[in-house]
Amino acid sequence: MQRKKTLALMATAVSGSLVLAACGGGGGPASSGGKISDGKVVLGLLNDQSGVYKDLSGPNSKVAIEMAVADYKAKYGDKAVAKDIEVVQADHQNKPDIANTKAQEMYDRDKADIILDVPTSSAALAVATQAKAKKKLFIDIGAGTTALTGAQCNKYTFHWAYDTYMLASGNGAATVESGGKNWSIVYPDYAFGQDMTKSYSAAVERAGGKVQQKIATPFPNDNYATFITKAAASKPDVIGIMAAGGDLVNFIKQFNQSGVASTTKLAVGLMFITDVHSLGVDQFKGTTFTDAWYWNFDAQNRAWADKFMAKTKVRPSFAHAGNYSAAMNYLEAVQAAGTDKSDDVVKQLEGKKINDMFLRNGEVRAADHNVVHDVYQVKVKSKDQVKEEWDLEQVVKTIPANEAYAPASPDCKM
Amino acid sequence: MSDHVAQGSPNAKGSQHVLEVAGLSAWYGEAKVLSDVDLRVEPGEVVTLVGRNGAGKTTLLRSVMGLHRHVEGTVSWGGSDLGRSSPDKRARAGLGWVPDDRGIYATLTVAENLTLPPVTSKADAWSLEQVYEQFPVLHERRDFPGTKLSGGEQQMLAIARVLRMGSRLLLLDEPSEGLAPVIVQRIGEIIRQIKAQGVSVLLVEQNVTFASTVADRHYLLAQGRVVESLDNDSFQSRTTELLEYLGM
Amino acid sequence: MTAFIQYTLQGLALGGFYALAALGLAVIFGVLGVVNFSHGACYMLGAVGAAVLLDATGLGFWAALPIVTVAMFVFGVLMERLLVRWLLRLDPLYNFLLTFGITLFLVDLVKRRYGVSSLAYELPAGLKGRVDIGSVSLSSYQIFVAAFSVVLCLAVWVLLTRTRIGMIVRAATEDAERSRALGINVGRWVTPVFGFGIALAGLAGVLRAPTGSVNADMGSFFIIILFAVVVIGGLGSILGAVVAGFLVGLVEAYGQGYAGSFSQVLIFVLMAVVILVRPSGLFGREEAAS
Repeated sequence: MQRKKTLALMATAVSGSLVLAACGGGGGPASSGGKISDGKVVLGLLNDQSGVYKDLSGPNSKVAIEMAVADYKAKYGDKAVAKDIEVVQADHQNKPDIANTKAQEMYDRDKADIILDVPTSSAALAVATQAKAKKKLFIDIGAGTTALTGAQCNKYTFHWAYDTYMLASGNGAATVESGGKNWSIVYPDYAFGQDMTKSYSAAVERAGGKVQQKIATPFPNDNYATFITKAAASKPDVIGIMAAGGDLVNFIKQFNQSGVASTTKLAVGLMFITDVHSLGVDQFKGTTFTDAWYWNFDAQNRAWADKFMAKTKVRPSFAHAGNYSAAMNYLEAVQAAGTDKSDDVVKQLEGKKINDMFLRNGEVRAADHNVVHDVYQVKVKSKDQVKEEWDLEQVVKTIPANEAYAPASPDCKM
Repeated sequence: MSDHVAQGSPNAKGSQHVLEVAGLSAWYGEAKVLSDVDLRVEPGEVVTLVGRNGAGKTTLLRSVMGLHRHVEGTVSWGGSDLGRSSPDKRARAGLGWVPDDRGIYATLTVAENLTLPPVTSKADAWSLEQVYEQFPVLHERRDFPGTKLSGGEQQMLAIARVLRMGSRLLLLDEPSEGLAPVIVQRIGEIIRQIKAQGVSVLLVEQNVTFASTVADRHYLLAQGRVVESLDNDSFQSRTTELLEYLGM
Repeated sequence: MTAFIQYTLQGLALGGFYALAALGLAVIFGVLGVVNFSHGACYMLGAVGAAVLLDATGLGFWAALPIVTVAMFVFGVLMERLLVRWLLRLDPLYNFLLTFGITLFLVDLVKRRYGVSSLAYELPAGLKGRVDIGSVSLSSYQIFVAAFSVVLCLAVWVLLTRTRIGMIVRAATEDAERSRALGINVGRWVTPVFGFGIALAGLAGVLRAPTGSVNADMGSFFIIILFAVVVIGGLGSILGAVVAGFLVGLVEAYGQGYAGSFSQVLIFVLMAVVILVRPSGLFGREEAAS
């Protein structure tokens, strides 16, 4: 009996763990007030505070947002429209159902005027739906899906730092131009991976390259040896890997240990400086990827990174800088509008051209609320090039905003 | 009482232990399966527990062995109360467990099955040579997995195993079940032989005829109670009545 | 054909690793009847332990193998003495839940202390090369892990089949109650066996560190694969765990070669088929009729 029971128990555990549940919730009524609703402006940071994306954004993004608040107050002093500003944060655990609930709580209970960050595409789309229903702002920094500014765009949602199209067009095209014509793409078989593969294939082909193989892998996945063998079978110039987090690390280590590394270049779809920092540059020898921002690019970036480091002891990722920029520009829009009423703030943001610490040649496109800006193809430095702890990336090429981003999607109807 | 003590053999050098069960009750969850059972096995005595299926015979053996722990009452062995002591302590004190499924290990060879249990009394323990001499088939098949033996051979192995430990009291649970008459006969011989060595046996048996050929005394168990205690003579004279009573 | 040979070798290399990791799970289940859900977390602790050892003392892979393994043995002994032991007499569900709770605790503890990003860990210097035979190619490290696993599995096999301790463990694995009734103090073996199983999980973690991500979550999916391995092999069967480990490694490699993102699904399909055809697993014993 005992053994049968235990067997059943284990079988249940196995199957239970394979089922991922997700569910959505409804919206609620909107609220509006006088000049500043409820007497204060509340910025809500909703992101991964405990899981895989904690280090690349997480609690340190709250520090970045608070820096923006301080800078705003210092800039306007007594003339500030928003006198009382509060920053709240919550953990969405990268799950769309939790993101949905937390977003409702932030808008309703915490009286948040805006929600920021929200990595993980499915979670971001859930929050966008809430923003639309509540008529409150949402600026996404952490998620990559183009749907936020495509079919599921709305008046109150903005996409600030990057998307899958831009990741692909940056590194994809630049790699083809530098001689990497034939590609194999290895991607995790879920929404993000499929999206990235579509974007990368299109970018590579636009630039005159060819994607010979697209290899789907399970997600999550520990072992890539055979996938790497398969990807190398067509003798590509470049292998593109679209996995993220722990899976990316698994792939990179096993790629380096495979003989393939000596003959084939590696292009990474989405990578953060925190990934390079935690593993060390040796693991990434010459790997290229698209970065939305790099802290040591110029003096302006570096000055901000120094302030950030003084508070957090680490150098900022592009997500940290993006959260700062989004919060700052939101507050500037409140200042210009003289109110935190959503419709007025949106009006201020739409079409705004921005050059700040984060955005270069930036523009908040009115048509789809995609915030386009110059982005960078970067290469991981070799060990002897590294001069200080976080000095890990070398900018190979700056890709102008209009090349980096897709034109506004006809699917987006505000 | 019989005159068993006089039948000691050269092998019987160990202490002359008595098993005494007093006021033993046992439960499975809420269900009481034994009520206030008293019984006694003298050194070198063969005593059977007779009763229908579900009368509580196996539970009684398991309680004596310390395997069934939801009990009240006392089990004493050689004058000392076994209390809550663990099955392995009881085994090392001289109780030899031969379960109704024979308990042969499939992952152990025949020889390993024999040598697995510790020798608990050097004076009483059979040597491996003695075992193989008595049961040549075990020697022949010593390197086979234990469960590759026939049912009868497994029964021999289970008995030989506790004899090799030097057990002073064998708790035999239905040794004749499912075996051919010729093998049952052989088991009867073995029981008489170990009795001759001063080893006691508490035997659970439904085969009344077989029981009467080996036992000194009998306890009749019904619904968890001892309803009668008989010596073998009166047991034999009442065989028909008993068979009827047992529904056999 | 070359591809097939390549996949086979990769599968065997992976299988050796699975076998080693599943062995500890099987031994613990056999002797204690405990389904140790924390096996994945202990595997994670082994890998994180190796990375922390490197970071704190500069001691690399070769030192980590014995040091972390012994440390995990001690950890296992403490876990059994302080926690698992008290629930052994109850329904196995209780220890399953206990070890599940221990998993959550360990994972969060590591997250709190070391964050969520992967910790740096590199190949030992001597194992950075590759071995090429014709167009078939394996990394030295893959070969090392496979050979090491096979040697260790064999050593465990010898220990189990050729020593008295092994005989007692086998007997206790097959039927702990019966072994007690035959005078064996099974309880005395429970603690070291548990420690041994946990040590094997930690050792697997050290072996994984140079070739995979080292972070708090690395064991969370791995344990599911291991469950599949021991279910396929037969609960509590040591030989079954080893054979099923290799089988699952091969299935995963062929799956990656020929079935893409279904490579993991195939493992669970195999598990389902085994459960349907032989509910007790390939090497499991059939249920006693009682």
